[in-house]
Amino acid sequence: MTSPVAVDDELWSAIGDPTRRRMLDLLLADGGGTASSLGRQLPVTRQAVAKHLGVLDRVGLVRATAAGRERRYRVDDAQLAVAVAQLTSVGTAWDARLQRIKRIAEAIQHGTTNTEE
Amino acid sequence: MEYGTIEREIYIDAAPEVVFDVVSTPEHLAQWWPDTARYEPVPGSVGEITFGDGDAGKVVPFTVVDAVPPRTFSFRWAHPADQPATDSNSLLVTFDLRPSGAGTLLAFRETGFREQGWEIAVLEQQYRDHVTGWDHFLPRLAPYVATLQVRP
Repeated sequence: MTSPVAVDDELWSAIGDPTRRRMLDLLLADGGGTASSLGRQLPVTRQAVAKHLGVLDRVGLVRATAAGRERRYRVDDAQLAVAVAQLTSVGTAWDARLQRIKRIAEAIQHGTTNTEE
Repeated sequence: MEYGTIEREIYIDAAPEVVFDVVSTPEHLAQWWPDTARYEPVPGSVGEITFGDGDAGKVVPFTVVDAVPPRTFSFRWAHPADQPATDSNSLLVTFDLRPSGAGTLLAFRETGFREQGWEIAVLEQQYRDHVTGWDHFLPRLAPYVATLQVRP
């Protein structure tokens, strides 16, 4: 039914890092980029950028091609779609909704008035 | 197409009858999820939920599958408006309730194809405030929240 948990966890941690999300944003906006081009736009070293790109590459969120002495990276749209749908939107959205259900039900139970009805 | 499931279980300090009302009636649904909800909370009822306001809003089909107070409520959503809901064109959400002490254990499950989930993710990202933004929801929850011993 579901993907292997290990894969889900790796995707989550790959996309859960703010620097890596920013890198994905930049790669999407620019249509691709290299460790150098990303390093110029981010407050981290080129080495750190390369390390982050390695993480993204390992879970399939980016694809690399040779570009002179560097590797050029593009976002893998299909994998990004899977990741965002699975990890960002669906789970957290339902967590928030369930918390709202809990608060509303407990408010009613504890004798408050539903003023919107 | 890849099939996926999300499952959660939470304890709610309220009777199953109360929780059932909150998860099943359109009036309450519109307080914890969409902006409006229109359906009858009975099996087979076909209606819709909307996100956003007015012309900019999105209308999403909503079909009640099962309603057994105060035990279970399930619905399908996000199927094409001109098609009946099936297991291949919609997401199935199920709430199962069981008493636990003075309260209720609420088990939530959503199943469907991940590709379908991505379409929804795109839709909801357009209305991100509605999905993750407490800033948006707190004003309308204020009548409730103000009377609670709030524990974040």
